[in-house]
Amino acid sequence: MNDILNARERFGLLVIDEKPDRCNIIPLITSHAAMVNKTRLRDYYTDGEIMARAQIAAIEEYGHDAISIFSEVGIIAEAMGSKFDYPDDDLPILRTPALSRQSIGEIKIPEPENDGRLPIYLDAINYAYRAVGDRIPILAYIPAPFTTGMMLSEPENFLIQTIREPDRVKEIMDKALDAAIKFSYEIINAGALPMIVDPLASSSVISPRIFKEFVLPYERRLINFLHRYDLDIILHICGETGPILDILPETGADLISLDQVDLKKAINSLSKRMRIIGNFDTSELAMMMPGEISQAVKHMVAQAKNSTKGYIAATGCEVPIRTPRENIKAFIKSAKEAGWYWE
Amino acid sequence: MELIGYTCSYIPVEILSAAGYRPYRLLHGDFGLMEKSDPWLRVDACPLVRSNLGFLLEHQQRFVAVVGSTGCDMSRRMLEIVDAITDIPTIIINMPRTDRLEIYYDEIDYLIKRLAELSGGRIDDEQINRQIRVWEGLRNFYRHYSEKRRENPSRLSTVSFHHLVANFHQGNTQPVSYSQLEVSNLPRVFLLGSPVGYESTFLLKIIEKYLRIIWDYNCGLSRFLNVKIKGKGVDGIKSAYYQQPPCILRRPNKKFYEFIKKKIVEYKPTGMVLSTLDYCDAYEFELIKIGNIFGLPTLNLRSDFSFQNRSQLETRINAFQEMINT
Amino acid sequence: MNNIPGKITMSEWSEIFNSLPEKIIERYCYYNNNEWGRYLQPPATFFVYGARELKRLKFDNSLAALRMWGFVFNESERLFRAKQSGKKVIATCGDLGTVPVIIMGFPDCIPFYPECIWWTPFFNESNVLLEPAHQLGAPEAACFSKAALGAFYKRAYFPKPDLIFASTGASCDDYSCVLQLIEGLGYEIEWLEIPYRRGFDYPERFVKYLTNEYERVYKKMKNLTNFDKPEQLAETIKKINRLRLRVEEIKALVYNADISPLPALELMVIEFGNLYGYADIDEWLDIVDMIYETVKQRVAAHQGVLSPDAVPVAWITPSADPYLLNLIEDYGMRVVETEYVINQALVKIEEAIEPFTALAKSFMKASLIGSTRERIARIQKAVAAGRIKGIIITNMLGASHCAMETGLIGYYLRDVPSITIDVPAPSGITEQIKNRLMAFAETLRQGYYE
Repeated sequence: MNDILNARERFGLLVIDEKPDRCNIIPLITSHAAMVNKTRLRDYYTDGEIMARAQIAAIEEYGHDAISIFSEVGIIAEAMGSKFDYPDDDLPILRTPALSRQSIGEIKIPEPENDGRLPIYLDAINYAYRAVGDRIPILAYIPAPFTTGMMLSEPENFLIQTIREPDRVKEIMDKALDAAIKFSYEIINAGALPMIVDPLASSSVISPRIFKEFVLPYERRLINFLHRYDLDIILHICGETGPILDILPETGADLISLDQVDLKKAINSLSKRMRIIGNFDTSELAMMMPGEISQAVKHMVAQAKNSTKGYIAATGCEVPIRTPRENIKAFIKSAKEAGWYWE
Repeated sequence: MELIGYTCSYIPVEILSAAGYRPYRLLHGDFGLMEKSDPWLRVDACPLVRSNLGFLLEHQQRFVAVVGSTGCDMSRRMLEIVDAITDIPTIIINMPRTDRLEIYYDEIDYLIKRLAELSGGRIDDEQINRQIRVWEGLRNFYRHYSEKRRENPSRLSTVSFHHLVANFHQGNTQPVSYSQLEVSNLPRVFLLGSPVGYESTFLLKIIEKYLRIIWDYNCGLSRFLNVKIKGKGVDGIKSAYYQQPPCILRRPNKKFYEFIKKKIVEYKPTGMVLSTLDYCDAYEFELIKIGNIFGLPTLNLRSDFSFQNRSQLETRINAFQEMINT
Repeated sequence: MNNIPGKITMSEWSEIFNSLPEKIIERYCYYNNNEWGRYLQPPATFFVYGARELKRLKFDNSLAALRMWGFVFNESERLFRAKQSGKKVIATCGDLGTVPVIIMGFPDCIPFYPECIWWTPFFNESNVLLEPAHQLGAPEAACFSKAALGAFYKRAYFPKPDLIFASTGASCDDYSCVLQLIEGLGYEIEWLEIPYRRGFDYPERFVKYLTNEYERVYKKMKNLTNFDKPEQLAETIKKINRLRLRVEEIKALVYNADISPLPALELMVIEFGNLYGYADIDEWLDIVDMIYETVKQRVAAHQGVLSPDAVPVAWITPSADPYLLNLIEDYGMRVVETEYVINQALVKIEEAIEPFTALAKSFMKASLIGSTRERIARIQKAVAAGRIKGIIITNMLGASHCAMETGLIGYYLRDVPSITIDVPAPSGITEQIKNRLMAFAETLRQGYYE
């Protein structure tokens, strides 16, 4: 079957409860795009135009359904004062968390047009939007307040503080939320759809209780802000989410991107309230043979494509940077075949 | 005899004649004439309309009136320009674009009324029946020639046929004969498309250098032969003109395609030439469908009457011939 | 909200929007549905969803205008929601203003004009609707209404209509040809015949033809809905007249004010709302009332959105590219009269006569079914009254009536200078076009022609 719709039209139908020609296919192709474009990773995340061009190259190579403006989850924390190292061939690495040098009060809400690498993201959005924005949705991944909070602190300390100094954590979270809102605002005005990523809120990291107390309220407030604009908001949480499945709709997210969870179970719990995105295992994507991937993807899509509020075929997490291209092509080809809706 | 211009196959020549005028179908396809209409028409107006307007502006004194229809938008609007900038009276009748028979019938009555006013006389059934005999006789006469094109091998070129039928279109009621045999064994094709203009013989000549046009559905060639008046009086005319195979602009235009398909079965052409004028909505929008629906190799030729692309046209026609032959 | 009227950018709207209380956002819903019917969104929302031109457009800064834009940009979703919630969605094509009145007389039936999607490629600065239209047979040089062909093919811009009515006849051929191609895609079309008017003293039988056609529409709708209350049509006509009257009042206020109280772009959107109320006539009426109040207040306060010395011009034939309406204001002109080929949707429908006949008579005033002279009579009158200093005519290359009318329009309106702009493909407005408009404005301002 040949596509009839472009990616923007396809996504547009999904979010108004209509079946598109086929299911949306949005594997989380982020920094892997640098490999497609034969770009040094450091250039990818320090130059917006390069990031956008790499993303466009990936779209041209694979034909998936969204541009993903993203490199790593420290982007807001960095703009708030955390220091990162920029290896040539790897993603930025947290060197000094802001809160190890400053008090919470000293941390300022960043100006997205000036601080850290936020302007690079905005440049990337601007470039991609001008180039393909009429045909392809631009997703800009926004680290959620909890993830940013952790990147402002020593991660281990931050987790301990959720028990010992909950008020301090909430103070950090308030700042992280303000920063996320401000950044989201600029992202919207640049033409991208904010997609909230909260990998560190995974049940592999925190308990459902901590999630409810420190993650949920902030995600909800961020999503409430975005809902004023009537945008359809994707929330992505990596890792294990089984224990918090029932809580996820309370975030208000319209689409939920899941990783390590039984897809059938997730559909049963969530599909009447949220659109499901997921959840192909990225290690399998990187390691399996294309034929095996095809088979597994078809099984996944067949299982999920008719979920009540719609489905996006995706990977559970970011596509590993060095995933063989043939594997991704196999993923997309088989998702297209299995995900066809129209007669 | 004074000329009365007309623009559409749905305007009965018998009625124009009965009013005492010589019906002159506006079918000019001359680049030089087009320039004369430039002050009024944009370059994206139909070349036939531009050319016809140029002709009318140059020959105003020869025309007692011009009759047009709503058959196509540009043609209808040409009459509005004539009305605005010349002293030639114009009459526009509603040519039904759907199957609304009564509109057409009423409009023929209106046409008769207007022509009677214009000529200062009465147009009665006797005059009309006389003209039916004259024009039906002419149609039968030219049908005979059209059939010669069809024979296998074809015995008359469409180039010559075009010359002959120009007499009909220009209101000559004397049958003009042609006795020369032009036998051809070239690939046999249909010609469809925008009207072939009086000055477009050149295009037909290039086509027939490589192909033989054995039938056409073209307002500038044999389309008038599809009118067969069986009844008498105005009613006979109304019925015959209304029932002629429809214009491609009829909505829906399914019957147009059915008619052409029937003719393909009947004539068994080996290809189709589709000649389209620039900005001719009627055919430009249907090019792809025509190319697909008939199951025949189809050659699309596009022109603005300038024929500046002569060598390119010839190469394409030649290539088309080779393609059919193989 | 800022009380000083003005034109603002998309980003400026976002800033204002951020400070809007939640209760205002919640207040406005289409089809009275608060779950999915909210529509008060700033231009940035639609920018995120691909309306790329919004970044360079400027908008009126009133809440009423924000509401209007949100409502208009939500139309596509609204049509899908209509269908999802059990309403019948009826495509009315080609007549621009009359058939929808009949449709609205049936409960839960929503008329819309697929050809109005011709603005979408321009708002999106995109060929994604035009390219498939070309592949399906529409010529490159043809009216931008061919975008409807792309939309019918894609099935992503409106739901499959329950019925399609298409008018043909004495109108622009381009759209009739587009509709024929749409039928070729497998859609069933109910064709309606539009007669040529032949002057305003047209024969009464033309009204009868149209009346018959409208009765046929009614019967089709009756069969579709099992609803048969012809008297409802009279009520709908009253409602439509209220809208048309209100729009006339807004136009009169805007045209005659010392300082223009509303930009030309917003006024064009309002004028086109007369066609079908953007698929929720009741909500649209409310919006138009709100705009009226805003305009009235501004006029009373001698406030406006343009410079007081803006040169008054008339605009003939709507521009498919909204940006042109912005530009002429940037260059110091203001629109004080229009001829957007929808005369038939602006006139009052008679209420004292049989409804189908009343509709037919109102349609006989249509822009494109008669001569050019009739079409621009209103503009000629405004010129004669000295209200207009220049004429802007927009054309589409290859559109049948544009090619034929522009010369005549210039001829009939030769007492005032005019400029003709060929609307280029999406995102195609060049510096040359800008320079021409700028020079035109400059010339008018200096009064060389007076």
